[in-house]
Amino acid sequence: MDRLAARPPSYVGPTYYDRPVVKRPTYRWLIAGYFFVGGLAGAAGLLATVADLARADRRLVRAGRYVAAAGALASPALLVADLHTRWRWYNMLRIFRLTSPMSIGSWTLAAFGATSTAAAAAERVGAVRVARAAGIPAAALGAVMSVYTAVLASATSVPLWAAAPRVLPPLFGASATSTALAALTLATSTRNGAPARSALGRLGMAVSALELALAFALRRTLRQRGVGDALLHGPLARVHEVGAIGIGTLVPLGVHAATVLTGRPARRASLAAALATLVGGFVLRVTLVFGGRRSAERPREYFQLTQDAR
Amino acid sequence: MSVPPSGRVADESELTAGTRIEEGRRYGFFTDTTLCIGCKACEVACKEWNTLPADHVGLTGDSYDNTGALSATTWRHVAFVEQLGHDGDRPTTMPPWQSQWLMMSDVCKHCANAGCLDACPTGALFRTEFDTVVVQQDVCNGCGYCVPACPFGVVDLNEHDGKAHKCTLCYDRLKGGLEPACAKACPTDSIQFGELDDLHARARRRVDRLRAGGRSDAYLYGAPDGEGQPSPGATGGIGALNCFFLLTARPEVYNLPAAPSLPRTRIRPGLLHGLGTMAAIAAAALLAFATDRAG
Repeated sequence: MDRLAARPPSYVGPTYYDRPVVKRPTYRWLIAGYFFVGGLAGAAGLLATVADLARADRRLVRAGRYVAAAGALASPALLVADLHTRWRWYNMLRIFRLTSPMSIGSWTLAAFGATSTAAAAAERVGAVRVARAAGIPAAALGAVMSVYTAVLASATSVPLWAAAPRVLPPLFGASATSTALAALTLATSTRNGAPARSALGRLGMAVSALELALAFALRRTLRQRGVGDALLHGPLARVHEVGAIGIGTLVPLGVHAATVLTGRPARRASLAAALATLVGGFVLRVTLVFGGRRSAERPREYFQLTQDAR
Repeated sequence: MSVPPSGRVADESELTAGTRIEEGRRYGFFTDTTLCIGCKACEVACKEWNTLPADHVGLTGDSYDNTGALSATTWRHVAFVEQLGHDGDRPTTMPPWQSQWLMMSDVCKHCANAGCLDACPTGALFRTEFDTVVVQQDVCNGCGYCVPACPFGVVDLNEHDGKAHKCTLCYDRLKGGLEPACAKACPTDSIQFGELDDLHARARRRVDRLRAGGRSDAYLYGAPDGEGQPSPGATGGIGALNCFFLLTARPEVYNLPAAPSLPRTRIRPGLLHGLGTMAAIAAAALLAFATDRAG
């Protein structure tokens, strides 16, 4: 009964030979990869500065700055590689258009790249004050980096992406933070002592719980609006459920819970949880990108979404 | 009017479409589907003028529509709908006006608020002095964001040249005082080019006449309905479609959305919710790192 009631209220009217109404986005692995790397780097930049302000262990701050800079340098490569006329990449900085999340993102990435690289370089040579000065804007820009890609997806006519503009950005933000925390766990655990392990662990647990709740909120919204079937039923949905929700949030939550219950932090378990979080965060972006492509091919999903103007 | 020695008629559009083309005025198409005979002269004229290559030479099996859809190399697309019976049943009687063919020449809508133009990060997409929306080929870098942004699935990337393409409403012809190629070629005046206010008035008169003649299902898609209400197609912040249509069946029959919305309306709520979440996470992180140091 519940399952039946939860089926999407799908559009049952006529279609034009079941041909797509809107054009499928061209985005595939490179963009899914950027959604993952850019979000992770942005959140790492934010966490580094927060850790710095909280006077946390310097090694944690340093790792955050390095991860942010590395991600900020890898991101443009992924984006330029996805362009269909690559040598014109600089036209991305030709204008600034607030109605285009792509334009907002291009400028944000450029500024984040400059500030986070400066912060990392200053950190490397021990100029803590310079690193701090560059780290503040990098943190603000990093927060935008970790959520704007979801806004970019929402501001299209792709049914799966357009249906949940209030859920997708928080979900991307939570996932960006959990993957950044996982990267920091891996980066700091390789050294002796594993600084701030318990803070990373507790924060990771809270953010993973938030991510889990938001993943279910997305499913609920998609069901209510009767779109995004690719993420609810079929093979891609299985990958999303097992990869993004199971491996990405439930596994790390289980490990954290076990650590709290047994009362002793297990190094190997926390490393495994961090790896699982990273895998899950990547699967989340991949399934959303490819699920969006599938939903754009389905005229009934778009007609369902466009029955009433919102 | 005699043809000048140069062979070029100034303001030719005045002769062929009854409209003088001047900068700063708004132009568009009124496509009256009740007059369309499905000859595809518009598709051919568009391809010829814009030197667009042939694509998909073959049969689709979808009535006489072997074009399929608008694309980077197809800027007019005639849709064919055979309304015979229901669920595959062949009818045994025909309605009094005999034909149940619906044909519609689809085209870029040149929206008053255009989703593609909003989305373009390079400024390649711009609004012309004729209130139309055009992609500048020497600026576009093929990021592809306009493609899923369009609420009507019009603009498309060409994989060969790596740029976005769509109908320009014959920007070059308008510059030279010529009526767009498709409208000029249309033998039944199903496609009418003109100034928008003029076209709206003409379209309303046409709807009134059709309704008086018994076609009570005639309505306009994408034009203001005269009472300030957005008509189907012009919803969700899109405002109006400079290229609008007269239809006699629900929009979905022609592969048009009933109530599309402008993608940019989702930016503000998205950013606010996303950044709000990040602020909360940052506060929690500050607390966690600070207490960790204390403990």
